[in-house]
Amino acid sequence: MSFWGAMAGGFVGTLVLTTLLRAGSEVGLTRMDLPFLLGTAFSADRTRAKAIGFGLHFVAGQAFAAMYYAVFSAIDESSWWLGGAFGLVHGLFAGTALVNTLLPLVHPRMGSSQSAADTSPLLEPPGFMILNYGNATPAITVITHVIYGAIVGGFTAIST
Amino acid sequence: MLRSPARAYKPLRSYAAVGDGRTVALVAGDGSIDWLCIPDLDSPSVFGALLDSTRGGRFELQPEIPFDVQRTYVSDTNVLQTTFVTDRGCVRVTDAMTLPSGLGPGRELVRRVEGLSGRVPLRWSVEPRFDYGSRPIRWERRLGFPVAISGRNAMAICPSSAGEWECRGGRVGARFETAEGMRTQIVLSVSHQEPLVFPPQREVDERLESTIAFWKRWAGSRTYDGPWREAVIRSALALKLLVFAPSGAIAAAATTSLPEELGGERNWDYRYSWVRDSAFTLDAFLRLGCPAEAEAFFWWLMHASQLTHPRLQVLYRLGGGTSAPERTLDLDGYRGSKPVRVGNGAAGQTQLDVYGDIFQTAWLYVRARHHLDQDIGRRLADIADLVCKIWRQPDSGIWEVRSEPVHFIHSKMMCWVALDRASKLARSGQIPDRRLKLWEREAEAIRTFIEAHGWSEAKQSYVRSAGSSELDASLLMAVLLGYDDPSSQRLQATVRAIRTELGKGPLLYRYSGEDGLSGSEGFFLTCSFWLVDALARLGDVEEAAESMEALLTHANDVGLYSEEVEAETGEFLGNFPQALVHLALINAAASISEQRRR
Repeated sequence: MSFWGAMAGGFVGTLVLTTLLRAGSEVGLTRMDLPFLLGTAFSADRTRAKAIGFGLHFVAGQAFAAMYYAVFSAIDESSWWLGGAFGLVHGLFAGTALVNTLLPLVHPRMGSSQSAADTSPLLEPPGFMILNYGNATPAITVITHVIYGAIVGGFTAIST
Repeated sequence: MLRSPARAYKPLRSYAAVGDGRTVALVAGDGSIDWLCIPDLDSPSVFGALLDSTRGGRFELQPEIPFDVQRTYVSDTNVLQTTFVTDRGCVRVTDAMTLPSGLGPGRELVRRVEGLSGRVPLRWSVEPRFDYGSRPIRWERRLGFPVAISGRNAMAICPSSAGEWECRGGRVGARFETAEGMRTQIVLSVSHQEPLVFPPQREVDERLESTIAFWKRWAGSRTYDGPWREAVIRSALALKLLVFAPSGAIAAAATTSLPEELGGERNWDYRYSWVRDSAFTLDAFLRLGCPAEAEAFFWWLMHASQLTHPRLQVLYRLGGGTSAPERTLDLDGYRGSKPVRVGNGAAGQTQLDVYGDIFQTAWLYVRARHHLDQDIGRRLADIADLVCKIWRQPDSGIWEVRSEPVHFIHSKMMCWVALDRASKLARSGQIPDRRLKLWEREAEAIRTFIEAHGWSEAKQSYVRSAGSSELDASLLMAVLLGYDDPSSQRLQATVRAIRTELGKGPLLYRYSGEDGLSGSEGFFLTCSFWLVDALARLGDVEEAAESMEALLTHANDVGLYSEEVEAETGEFLGNFPQALVHLALINAAASISEQRRR
């Protein structure tokens, strides 16, 4: 179990997560686009926002992988299934608190339940479990995070 | 001046709207708030007396003695002032939904009472009925105030110097007397999935003043300087009430199931955002000088429509979701007009006109010096490709008929608009031009179809559907969207035919012929304003202005419109206040103004 293994897992996991979310968007299952949501916090230019967002998303993927590694180290155990379990919690956290509650509060262009007539945000709020972005979004969010976690856990376990 | 009406159901014309960008309350002329959904416009009602006088719930506040009523909005705001004039004196009630600041309530409804003269006995009563009256309520006392709790929602009723309240029979209320110079208030603090906030009076006063200041600032920033400015700004303020601030979407109306025919079944939920309204919305926002609202709406539209790409859904939820399952509620309905529906089955219909609307919207957005990014450009090109494939199909049309789909000529015209604007966007480099030739070829094919099958020699008009002899006021859009040159004989003849066959004075019915529903409906105000707009664009500017003047007399006492007016009585019908009517009013006034300047 090594830190750099977790980092490598975080990179690959984020790559897979991003690809699956994009595929889900292309086939009409969800309007969830994490790079877009993150990037528009810094730019109203959609193309530039996506480029920034991809970078931020990979940084976030590394940060979460480091957190996973911290917990793996604390309990002195890592495996793909334990990582998958972390991913499940991570996905639920993302849907209920992170993207639904925290992101709208800090995102300068995203609406929230507090947005009133004196504001004109550019992005609709995600809603509970990101349901505003499509009924399949909760399932896709959780599944992709489970896969991310499993990859981080697996890479961490096999690294020395 | 309105006379004090009986309790029961009040005329729809007697309602005024106040809101905060998230939800809207309807205040009747007798001071009763009979409609409020919480936390949002498309949430279930907590005051729903509008749809069930017995079980719906309301917030009454009125003199205990006979009264006359004078109402007005505080100038250039969405804050309502109702003045009750009695034999013993006058009292003024100021109603507002305040905008958030500090640690304010999740939603806050303020009713400020001011004694203007004499001594007037008043009574107030709050009767909340959460979830369209279907959920039980638990009453508690917190910090000395009555609190109604129901599931995830709670409402604190915070009166100050408004009598000794008592809670009985599912309502809380009191009696008190105003004297000249006295000022008091009753505040509703509403929470949804969070703790209640009990606002100090000083903070409520500050929020009310800052809310008034915001609305004045917003209205004063509008750049429209043409004729009928007061009506146009009132319409802009009404639209702003219907803009769902968290997303930028605009609701078609603030209500559900207000009938298009009293006692009839034409009762629909309008608390969704229709793609049909999008081009009018963007046009009106741009003409009024509302760039922030225009951009927010365009971003919302392009985001919301992504899920069903390349197909468009007829309507979307205000939050951007696609699900709008229709069901009926166990409510009596306005004056017995059943069923009361929530959700809207039209969401699943095929309506080809929406493709023209989204391209016209994108075209207006680009003309306002915005740029379409690559992703949106690619998606719009995909939609244009789809239009080439599906324009030959029958559809349910702009009016969402519940009869079998047919080849509506308006829908074909809008498909032509879609491909015409797609071609223009491609030529200007805003969207990929890989299928430009195909779009141009198919646009021409659509025009050929319309001219061959959508024109009636007998009627001397374009007709409602291919081969029929029925007329449809939506064909006025051919003028508004430039389907042909204003000098076109066929366009001019169609406008004349629609006026003759569907009109009475300045008012128009929507269409003649079947729609799959029983009963009939009133004059459709949107179409009436479209006629004004069309006349102006065809060069009959003074005639358009005359019709405009006549239509403005059909507004209620505070300048708002519902969807329709009843032919005999002039009573409002349909959902209220209606975005599309106010959009059409703004655009008609702007068109006349522009034509006069030429």
